[in-house]
Amino acid sequence: MITVERLSKTYRVADKQPGLAGTLRHFLRRRQRDVFAVRDVSFEIAPGEMVGFLGANGAGKTTTLKMLCGLIYPSSGQVLVAGHQPQRRHPDFLRRITLVMGQKQQLIWDLPPMDSLRVNAAVYGIPDRVASRRIAELSDLLELGEELTRPVRKLSLGQRMKAELLAALLHEPEVLFLDEPTLGLDVNAQMRVRQFLADYNRRTGATVLLTSHYMADITALCPRVLLIHQGQLFHDGALDRLASRLAPERHVRLELKEPAPAEAFTGLGRLDSLENCEVNLRVEPSSLTRVLAEVLERFEVRDLEVNDPPIDQLIGELFRQGSL
Amino acid sequence: MGRYWRTLRRFWGTALATQLEYQLNVVVELLAVVLSLGGSLLLLSLFFGPGRELGGWNWNQALIVQGFYTVFDGMTTAWLRPNLGAIVTYVREGTLDFVLLKPIDSQFWVSLRTFAPAGLSEVVLGLGLAGWGAHQSGVVLTPPLLVAVLLMLMVAAVILYSLWFLIAATSIWFVKTWNATEVLRAVLASGRYPLEAYPASLRLLFTLVVPVAFLTTVPAEVLLGRASLPLLALGFVLAGGFFAAARGFWLFALRHYTSASS
Amino acid sequence: MRIFGLNRRIVRALLGSQYAHMLEYRAEIALWALSGVLPFIMLSLWSGSDARAQLGLDGVALDRYFLSAFLVRQFSVVWMVYAFEEDALLGRLSPYLLQPLHPLWRYVASHLGEQLTRLPFAAGIAGVFFLIQPQAFWIPSLGGFLLAWIATWMAFAIAFLLQSLIASLCFWSEKATALERLLFLPFLFFSGLLAPLTAFPPAVQDWVRWTPFPYLIDFPARVLSGDAVNLAAGFGAQLAWVLLLLPLVLLLWRAGVRRYSAMGA
Repeated sequence: MITVERLSKTYRVADKQPGLAGTLRHFLRRRQRDVFAVRDVSFEIAPGEMVGFLGANGAGKTTTLKMLCGLIYPSSGQVLVAGHQPQRRHPDFLRRITLVMGQKQQLIWDLPPMDSLRVNAAVYGIPDRVASRRIAELSDLLELGEELTRPVRKLSLGQRMKAELLAALLHEPEVLFLDEPTLGLDVNAQMRVRQFLADYNRRTGATVLLTSHYMADITALCPRVLLIHQGQLFHDGALDRLASRLAPERHVRLELKEPAPAEAFTGLGRLDSLENCEVNLRVEPSSLTRVLAEVLERFEVRDLEVNDPPIDQLIGELFRQGSL
Repeated sequence: MGRYWRTLRRFWGTALATQLEYQLNVVVELLAVVLSLGGSLLLLSLFFGPGRELGGWNWNQALIVQGFYTVFDGMTTAWLRPNLGAIVTYVREGTLDFVLLKPIDSQFWVSLRTFAPAGLSEVVLGLGLAGWGAHQSGVVLTPPLLVAVLLMLMVAAVILYSLWFLIAATSIWFVKTWNATEVLRAVLASGRYPLEAYPASLRLLFTLVVPVAFLTTVPAEVLLGRASLPLLALGFVLAGGFFAAARGFWLFALRHYTSASS
Repeated sequence: MRIFGLNRRIVRALLGSQYAHMLEYRAEIALWALSGVLPFIMLSLWSGSDARAQLGLDGVALDRYFLSAFLVRQFSVVWMVYAFEEDALLGRLSPYLLQPLHPLWRYVASHLGEQLTRLPFAAGIAGVFFLIQPQAFWIPSLGGFLLAWIATWMAFAIAFLLQSLIASLCFWSEKATALERLLFLPFLFFSGLLAPLTAFPPAVQDWVRWTPFPYLIDFPARVLSGDAVNLAAGFGAQLAWVLLLLPLVLLLWRAGVRRYSAMGA
């Protein structure tokens, strides 16, 4: 459904220092440089797949997403979505895709969502009878009722997002591009949106590409993730494989019967913390069995636990540091 | 084509509904229309008096010009300002993306998305004023004359739209100069008065560079039955040229937008 | 020491930051300056009109009047109500209300910063005007210039207070800015921007003198252009309007803020 081959995008940017002096200098002499937003990205997505798209702010996520919908011309490389070159924005292509942006809205602020839906029905050339049926079905799935006839400005953020989704899906697109669809929503609303997306994907077989800052969205919805870092594709595959790539070590937590000194753990992986009887170690998977055997032999162990580092913590750290 | 009609009806239906959400605004706007016309007539009357003319136009003839100006000011209020003035908002908030992803012509969308009903009342008042001025000037409105006047008003509307659009579309590059159309509005205000009232250099400017003359003076001359054929032909050529330029410029602007935005 | 909640440090910080802020918008401000060309269009119209004789402005006096009207307008433009509406809409108002400084000062400072940014553009337009009409060139006396400056700032103060009055109403109705349009229309026609006050019939003149409008453009413009004008009456009227509007604005503002915080915004 989506084929991306060696996709790249470069930008010219101007630098400006803060303050009045910086303003004047910027005014007199602009410094510009070329920046790669996306570099040599290739992947394929099959029909019906739900794929998570991860990356820190400025990693090139949104740029790639916009190239896939045809909002940005690629600098080089090939993109094919639903058999079309997106940047041509052929009406047939536009009828088969949709874009939802969590921080932007297309609903008319002062009017009930229903009015915006009627506009969309006309724009996409959907007969009113068909449109009403779809609105009824989708609002059922989204648990929207009288909210559709209340001015958008009076809806809560969660209700508004659900109405945005309805407006974006009215024309039954085959490919959904979702950019932070749960941004700013409370946990309940996030869960409902997530559930809806899963349902929608199951019922219609639509292809979904989703970016989110909330790892819960990704873990719940996307068996496959793409991680983009500094414009390049760093990972393409299952989420747990990403975890083992990011942090191959296992966490071993021990509770000893008697306290032991730090020196006692040499040769048993990396010592994370040591507090009286509680010990945390990080161990390479290959030496895990050896380490565990030695630990049980050397110490009297009251409790033992082996864990993968939590994925959202890993990704969170990655986003915070902005480096791998 | 049917889809475009249906879309247009929905566009303006929702625009009307939005306006009615704020009743106070509607009242204020209507009051402003009446006050503005009253003030304009008072100002115009200052130039006239017993036996006095303005650039060879008498009071009744000048009323026709003022009437047509009011029509186009109404068109500006009703369509140009709310729609084309919003282009910069689309760009700033990034919602132009939504427009571009709709299977409908984007220039159609940004030009006709909404309308302000108050401007419509100005159009009606302006037509009434021009009609009154023509009647007082002894014009007999035959069907061919009516067709000719309507044709010239269409030419004028196309020129006005294209000028506005050309300037408003630059906000795709220059978000910070979103108010460039205000300069155009200030210059267009010269169309309140007959072209002949201005010095020769300005007359040339208002005919060829910013063709204000074709908005008000030329249609008024057609109505008075004294327009010259070459001038009318020039009007058609200008309208066609400006519209083609506006269309070309929009496509060019979108190419820039889609290769530069992030 | 603080006067009206201001001391030197606050004034310097406010003006400095607002000037830097406005410099970021220099392109927009240049266009606003350019969109003030209406007085020049009216000048070209009046110059060739038979009705010119009744204005009492002979020869270059008319050119100087309209140029002065343009300059006075440039430095007394007020857009406070729009800035206020945006601040209220975007929720920037609440933090301003918490600061130990009257929020109106912030708007005063941003207007002064904008005027400073506008200065080179307005001067440039005036320069072009003199290139086209060299015979109209004049340099006002230092005293005349200072008086004109004060008169322009007084005009700015009146316009600012009038808009603050409307802005205060925004605390009650979110679309109060529509009222600004109703205020702008009499300003446009009776301030002297399009026609000197003397162009109007005597009855209209007598009536308009009791409104604030002629003191916003006509009076300062005549002071600047060196026209014979009753200074005492003009400044007296300006001062009277400021003294009338100021307490009204402060009262309405305070009531509005009380209502605003009562609604928990």
